[in-house]
Amino acid sequence: MLTRCLKIGIVCPYSWDTPGGVQNHIRDLAEFLIEAGHEVSVLAPAIDESKLPDYVVNAGKPISIPYNGAVARVLFGPVAFARVRQWISQGDFDLLHLHEPAIPSISLLACWAADGPMVGTFHAAAKRQKIIFAIGPILEPAIEKLSARIAVSEAARLTLTDHLDTDAIIIPNGIYAKRYAHGKLQEKWSGNTIGFIGRFEEPRKGLSVLVDALPVISRFAPDVKVFVAGPGEPDEVIKSIDPQLRHRFEFLGKISEEDKADFMSSVALYVAPNTGGESFGIILAEALAGGACVVASDIPAFDDLLGHGEFGALFASENPTELAKVVIELLRDESKRKELANRGKNHAQLFDWTTVAEQIYSVYEMSIVGSEKVRLASDTRPWNRFLNKEEKP
Amino acid sequence: MSQWLLAIIFILISIWYLTFTATRLDRLHHRVETSWANLDVLLQKRAAVALEIAHSDIADPASSVLLTAAAYQARDADIQNRSQAESGLSGALGLLLEDSAHLETAADSALLTELSGLTDKVRVAIAIHTDAVARTQMVRRKFIVRLFRLAGTAPLPITHEFEADVL
Repeated sequence: MLTRCLKIGIVCPYSWDTPGGVQNHIRDLAEFLIEAGHEVSVLAPAIDESKLPDYVVNAGKPISIPYNGAVARVLFGPVAFARVRQWISQGDFDLLHLHEPAIPSISLLACWAADGPMVGTFHAAAKRQKIIFAIGPILEPAIEKLSARIAVSEAARLTLTDHLDTDAIIIPNGIYAKRYAHGKLQEKWSGNTIGFIGRFEEPRKGLSVLVDALPVISRFAPDVKVFVAGPGEPDEVIKSIDPQLRHRFEFLGKISEEDKADFMSSVALYVAPNTGGESFGIILAEALAGGACVVASDIPAFDDLLGHGEFGALFASENPTELAKVVIELLRDESKRKELANRGKNHAQLFDWTTVAEQIYSVYEMSIVGSEKVRLASDTRPWNRFLNKEEKP
Repeated sequence: MSQWLLAIIFILISIWYLTFTATRLDRLHHRVETSWANLDVLLQKRAAVALEIAHSDIADPASSVLLTAAAYQARDADIQNRSQAESGLSGALGLLLEDSAHLETAADSALLTELSGLTDKVRVAIAIHTDAVARTQMVRRKFIVRLFRLAGTAPLPITHEFEADVL
């Protein structure tokens, strides 16, 4: 698959030490490319420099700004701009891969500062915002410098065409499907059980929808249990649950990757009641790869990932009654559950890194053809070219 | 005095904007050219692979004739007939691939893998090319660009018809 050794620079807009989908994606991609023999350098903001892997270059301390319904830890400003320029000029890269270059971050700064083959990946899916009419014309010339644009899902692509009027190639986020393929069936999590993984304190993850649906579910399936995994303090959530149903919930805290694989193979249903703000749904891909039968809200990203219901059941987002209906129906019908899970598991192979990285790499190849290395844009501006010629005869 | 200053600032900003736009346009034209060259190479490769497939056991005599004709046409077509020829080749390959799922011999499947890899690349190359063309056309429509003739003598880039329906 990989024919030539490339020097690739990846820019991560979000703080490396906070967990998140984009950071995980970049980490896996960088490690996959290094494994394949390429030289990779990742530029990312970070709080604690000592914990960084050796392929990550620290760009400075991030600042927190509210963005797209969550707090984003990003970095920009003149000092950051100087760091970015320094990184680009010293890196001697064949290609830059910028993530989320349309938000104010070092990705946008890199896009502004560099000239040469650049690929941009757009992760976010957001509703059309008025503000874009004001900043669109400023972003446009910068975004246009990207030789190829990748969107992680149909939802992300639509956001991009809506906001910036450009098209993109869809390449999904990657997972290591093999890691999840051989989960062992754990007695403690099997039976009439429902699994949920995620930062349950965030309202957009939708745990409250599941909580609201449980009274109805437990009437039809008296022995149902809900396992909630993920970082966070469960006290607040427990308070919001009907006292009679509290014993049905078990909070597991953050679980390891191996446990995750076992978890996905053991639970009867994996439920993702997210209410929005999701552009791909990597956890669903992992659940499918682990052989779980998935029930998800019908937000565009999930609808797309689950093939409009072919690889997992869907329910109307933020509607506990319908969630309960779908869950009860599936809990009663084991053969249907098995069938969905099997189809889902096959489908999940599409998201395996071997497939995904190959697609990304062929975009790299297409962008590099006929171009020179990445340089600072300021070096190629006409007047600077003129000045440099004078200096170096 | 301050009026003069404002005028000078205004002129400087306009000059900056004009060079900025000219650089932007230059970059776009360059991208249109390189992406087309890249696409062209890939299409030539595809025609070569199609020929190889036509001569292998994958194709029955009838589709072999069809494929050979289409591949030669695609290779030799001039720019006016290029679209039709490439669409023809896509169609011929599509027909062949539709009923060749049963093939298992190693040499044959190697050819087909090469073809599908190439098709993926062609798809990406087309996306990049059409995007570059669309962007360039958009920037060239701008009033400032037309007024100052920033595009110079570069021809207005166009997309080819076949790009909409490759495999």
